[in-house]
Amino acid sequence: MEELYAITLFLFVLFLLLGSGVWVGLALMGVAWVGMELFTTRPVGDTMITTIWASSSSWTLTALPLFIWMGEILFRTRLSEDMFRGLSPWLARLPGGLVHTNIVGCTVFAAVSGSSAATLTTVGKMSIPELRARDYPERIVIGTLAGAATLGLMIPPSLALIVYGVTVNESITQLFFAGVFPGLCLALMFMGYVALYSRFSSKWNPIQETGMSFADKLKNSRFLIPVLCLIFVVIGSMYAGYATATEAAAIGVIGALVLAASQGSLNRSTFTESLMGATRTSAMIALILAGAAFLKLAMGFTGLPRALADGIATMELSRFELLMILMVFYIVLGMFLDGISSVVLTMAVVEPMVREAGIDLIWFGIFVVVVVEMAQITPPIGFNLFVLQGMTEHEMGYITRAAFPMFMIMVLMCFVLIWIPDIALWLPENMRQAPGG
Amino acid sequence: MNNVLRIVRRILDGVYAASGVLAAMCLIAILALIVAQMVARWTGEIFPGAANYAGYAMAAASFFAFANALNRGSHIRVSLVLNAVPSSVRWFLEIWCFAIGAAVMWYFTYYAYWFTFWSWKFKEVSQAQDATPLWIPQSVMVIGGGILAIALTDHLVHVIFRGDHRIRRDLVDQSHGE
Repeated sequence: MEELYAITLFLFVLFLLLGSGVWVGLALMGVAWVGMELFTTRPVGDTMITTIWASSSSWTLTALPLFIWMGEILFRTRLSEDMFRGLSPWLARLPGGLVHTNIVGCTVFAAVSGSSAATLTTVGKMSIPELRARDYPERIVIGTLAGAATLGLMIPPSLALIVYGVTVNESITQLFFAGVFPGLCLALMFMGYVALYSRFSSKWNPIQETGMSFADKLKNSRFLIPVLCLIFVVIGSMYAGYATATEAAAIGVIGALVLAASQGSLNRSTFTESLMGATRTSAMIALILAGAAFLKLAMGFTGLPRALADGIATMELSRFELLMILMVFYIVLGMFLDGISSVVLTMAVVEPMVREAGIDLIWFGIFVVVVVEMAQITPPIGFNLFVLQGMTEHEMGYITRAAFPMFMIMVLMCFVLIWIPDIALWLPENMRQAPGG
Repeated sequence: MNNVLRIVRRILDGVYAASGVLAAMCLIAILALIVAQMVARWTGEIFPGAANYAGYAMAAASFFAFANALNRGSHIRVSLVLNAVPSSVRWFLEIWCFAIGAAVMWYFTYYAYWFTFWSWKFKEVSQAQDATPLWIPQSVMVIGGGILAIALTDHLVHVIFRGDHRIRRDLVDQSHGE
């Protein structure tokens, strides 16, 4: 009985600190401290430092700041203009027309950036005014942008997957490749929706593009080619086993610097801004990871993860039922927490449960990322909604409704993943292992 | 009195900015180390301990940047309740948040100091190839953690006496972490 009081107190402190607005990383440290004091007789302070030191000086983690930096550099280049100009001639003739530039643009930028909101800003900056000028229905423009931007978290490099990989000790390279096909599949589903919408909607009446010759199309997209090469080198070097995720990130940073320099958009201020921005963002995530590492240890002592895993085992839930419960759980959690925090916060409890159920941890990473992606476009704190609100000056409710079909498509994607797990698992199983993992 | 405060203010802001720059240099160091390691491998050489050095640089980049990230509003918090309550309640809530944050970080810094002190006293050396005396990289936890603790206390005092903290959020800056 005393155990139960202790656990209730522990969970109460967790919700109290997080809910009242204490910074996530610090809240996790505080909660972990309470947990350690309640459940062990160990010297708490020393344990805390040892754990946090081990987790924050890890070599695997170095991929994180480098990939963030790479995205930051490209974010400050002319990429967003080039993206629209280069993609639109090729996509204009598809059913759904230029709305597809939103989706394809997000997919391309997702492959150089690990963040979903940065993808949204880069692509939307150019495509929103251009699409409005051509009279595309506002709702579908905003909806597709909100939905497709979440691909930033799924297509490698992905910050959420790095964080997940570090937390559950799985290979980051494998996770990256597991994300490729599901990401592309999701992009195709978005595009299919746009095509259908353009057929059946009465509001669909955009200005038609005039045809362009093949040579003109190529000329317009010549600026995109260097970016595509960079993506190819970064991802290819990991796939062929020449480089680890961290090394690929280093190649990416250098490639991005060269690209920005050749465009003339690299100067002292953009370099400093990108570097300082990357430093801050990576520090933000590092603080959460430090707190989470300590919390994971404390959680272990509470016996909560074990008890839950056993509980799930005795309930004899099927794998499908367990995944449905987790899906609903993460969607609800995502209403209050950002994606990265909800992954690291819950993994200490969810990981043993998932292992117990015999679910592949690589596959589960992709599943979790799809689910936390949804959180980016659900109110009240979906970050993509905030960014879009800033960019379009629509009210939150309107943007949420516009994004809702994309949310449903992502739910559908979860079922596709459960139904055909090989979408995620085929690629990582068929790649070459990098030296030193 | 006002003069003294102004000088303190300037020193503190200088410390936050300087630690941010130091963190950025550590980030460049990570890049350099990893490139060096790759080049070494391609040319058949070995760069012993590069992975460990990169790990130390990672810790340094994180810890030195904590305070800077706090001041620019990069650190994530659940702002749902904070935004919903009237400003008088919000003032108490902010005090609570900064007080908890500062307490956690002072506690952290205190233990990080003793941890580093003992590893210096017993001349602990990394078990890996790099054989670095561990107190050198570990001291970033004391310095960076200490600066974050100071920053949190600084904001706490500011909230109490001036009614608001000095964190300015930047949505674009923040968007790279989501």
